[in-house]
Amino acid sequence: MRPHIIFRYSGLILLFNALFLFISCLISLIYMDQALMPLFYSAVIACLFGAFPLLFVPSVDDITNKEGFTIVVSSWLLSCLVGLVPYILYGGEFTLTNAWFESVSGFTTTGSSILTNVEALPKGLLFWRSSTHWIGGIGIIIFALSVMPSMGRAGMVLYRAEMSPLGMENFHYRTKKTLKILVTVYVGLTLAETLGLLLCGMNLFDAVTQSFATIATGGFSTKNNSIAYFASLPVEMVIMAFMVLSGLHFGLLFTAVRGKIAEIWRSPVSRYYILAMGAGLLITALDIHGTRYPAWTDSFRYAAFQVISLGTTTGFATADSTLWPIFSQLILIFFTLQGACAGSTSGGIKTDRVVLFWKGLTKRITKTRHPHAVIAPKIGDLAVDGEMLEVGLLYIVLYIGVVFGSSLILTALGVDAMSAFSGSAAAMGGVGPGFGIVGSMGNYSLIPDPGKWVLTIDMLLGRLEIFALIMFVTARSWK
Amino acid sequence: MGIRGKILFGFLVLAGMLFLAGGWSIYELTTIGASVQRLLDDNYKSVNAARSMIEALEREDSAILLLLSGNRKEGREIIETADLSFQQEFRIAQKNVTIPGEKAYVDNVEKAYKNYKDLWEKPIVGTDRERNLDYYFREVHQSFLDVKSAIERLMTLNDGVMYETASNLENRAHRAVMPGIVAILAALIFTFVFNYFINYYLVGPIIRITKGIQAFLDTGETFQAKIETKDELSLLASSLQQLVSRSLNRDEI
Repeated sequence: MRPHIIFRYSGLILLFNALFLFISCLISLIYMDQALMPLFYSAVIACLFGAFPLLFVPSVDDITNKEGFTIVVSSWLLSCLVGLVPYILYGGEFTLTNAWFESVSGFTTTGSSILTNVEALPKGLLFWRSSTHWIGGIGIIIFALSVMPSMGRAGMVLYRAEMSPLGMENFHYRTKKTLKILVTVYVGLTLAETLGLLLCGMNLFDAVTQSFATIATGGFSTKNNSIAYFASLPVEMVIMAFMVLSGLHFGLLFTAVRGKIAEIWRSPVSRYYILAMGAGLLITALDIHGTRYPAWTDSFRYAAFQVISLGTTTGFATADSTLWPIFSQLILIFFTLQGACAGSTSGGIKTDRVVLFWKGLTKRITKTRHPHAVIAPKIGDLAVDGEMLEVGLLYIVLYIGVVFGSSLILTALGVDAMSAFSGSAAAMGGVGPGFGIVGSMGNYSLIPDPGKWVLTIDMLLGRLEIFALIMFVTARSWK
Repeated sequence: MGIRGKILFGFLVLAGMLFLAGGWSIYELTTIGASVQRLLDDNYKSVNAARSMIEALEREDSAILLLLSGNRKEGREIIETADLSFQQEFRIAQKNVTIPGEKAYVDNVEKAYKNYKDLWEKPIVGTDRERNLDYYFREVHQSFLDVKSAIERLMTLNDGVMYETASNLENRAHRAVMPGIVAILAALIFTFVFNYFINYYLVGPIIRITKGIQAFLDTGETFQAKIETKDELSLLASSLQQLVSRSLNRDEI
């Protein structure tokens, strides 16, 4: 492995971060707030660290798989490190642990916060906080690839690290085109949502920051009460629509934009994603009606928002779901674990693997009934082979194992069982809010410091789909 | 970029980070100094004046009780001295209005004190008010409490702002220290990276060039040294390659 190559390409990511830090500086300057110097100093550091390797290391187009994985993981870690600098320089509620938690939560598009008063933060810092979502959302790697001159072969090597096997299903494009598609869809969705929110009467700052958080399926809001602050049905409708879209495979979205909308329904994964969410919404609305909300309209309104928000791993809230019946809470935990489609910005196990799980289960049942039958399960046009099934199922087991393990650690630290399990699941899935003390209207400030570090590891494991991080840690023994 | 430029840039980066961190720390420390001065000038003075006003007011209250018990001379002496002291402190508070809305609080004190003074300025000894405890509790004591609570409200306002400024100072102190810490850590990491690049892109090629020349001198084999960068070292390597080729050609001739 060539460390200088890692420095060069991770440096490009730092430059991208520096760009957003400078934009945040401008916002700080406009509002004349106290975050200007912390943001400016962080931007300068990120810029210098990012630009310096470019002077020494020439561009290459022969990045190996091992280097690709290392660049991806080190880019995430470096971004999280740079991301915490403005917080720690600003001070206030940000201790080292809190700043790290907030930064990792931002870049992994989790959206969990330690802040007890978000609205007290200066506008510049709030913008940076939302920007971490936006940068993390599409995968810092993709930004790196879009500015890398050597996008050909090297690009795909890097990109592979972030794709679940079925995520590739709709990507029959070459790498360069794929990246262009992703960037176009991502920027297009952000602009469209910003416009939608502006039309609903939101101010430009709030519209942009909420859009950053929605499209990245992040969930950092600029308000203490999240989206409930706006108390506006049109705002909720716009955000819900874009949350659902952001949970879909971006390649499919691009196909839909080009006129083939039926493709979304044709894909078994997105069909399952939409149907599961619809069913969840209906069941939750039936459960909370009468117990929490007397009116059917309110039941559907709040159930829809919460189910879509957690089902797409966004984490925005319009109601305090910790006060809902336990049945509804369990439904929401199911969606927290499941997540949305691969190839989107969402986290969680992903609907692709859930579909894979059902295919595997069906195959096993059929095999038990007809031992000599030759069964070749398919998802859409893609034949599911044994290895794909094995990797998918292994991932699900490992994922739940990690959630269970970190729940155990949190409970050992004195956190109650519900908060520990839902918090771990929310961190691992990139959702944000859980239940109990880490509920949708609460925050993670009451979690002990070691617990916060455990949760940040969960966030990184979830974002990098476990295997990439394991490969990074064991890079030395890689052949 | 040439080697000189690369090395210069490396040191400039280090210097830039430290300069910026140092500048920022100095700025924050200067601001802390100014804030402490403001804290003392603006709020502490008002809090102190309010405290002295309450003390004077309590002396006036004792003097009124002396007047009610018939001690005219002693009572009047104490009450006039206390009044002078009150007026003096009140003027300090009046001149030191620095918080938005503070003027209204000062005006309230003035109004309440005027009502109170109206009560004791009238003769007490030798009138039907002498030894009249009912009059004292009904009018004088109530008026005394009104002035006292108006002063306390003024004091609470200044206390609150003082606490806020002190908390802000703590944050400012944090901001004065943190750039230094971040700069030290960043400089350490940067030094490590810089050292790696110097080794890989400067020292490494020099060693390869030396080995190439040594190999040519020892065995006469063609000079070969792979240089990845396009700087003075690659020029040196290609010059040496030409030199060796010419030397080999001359030997062949």
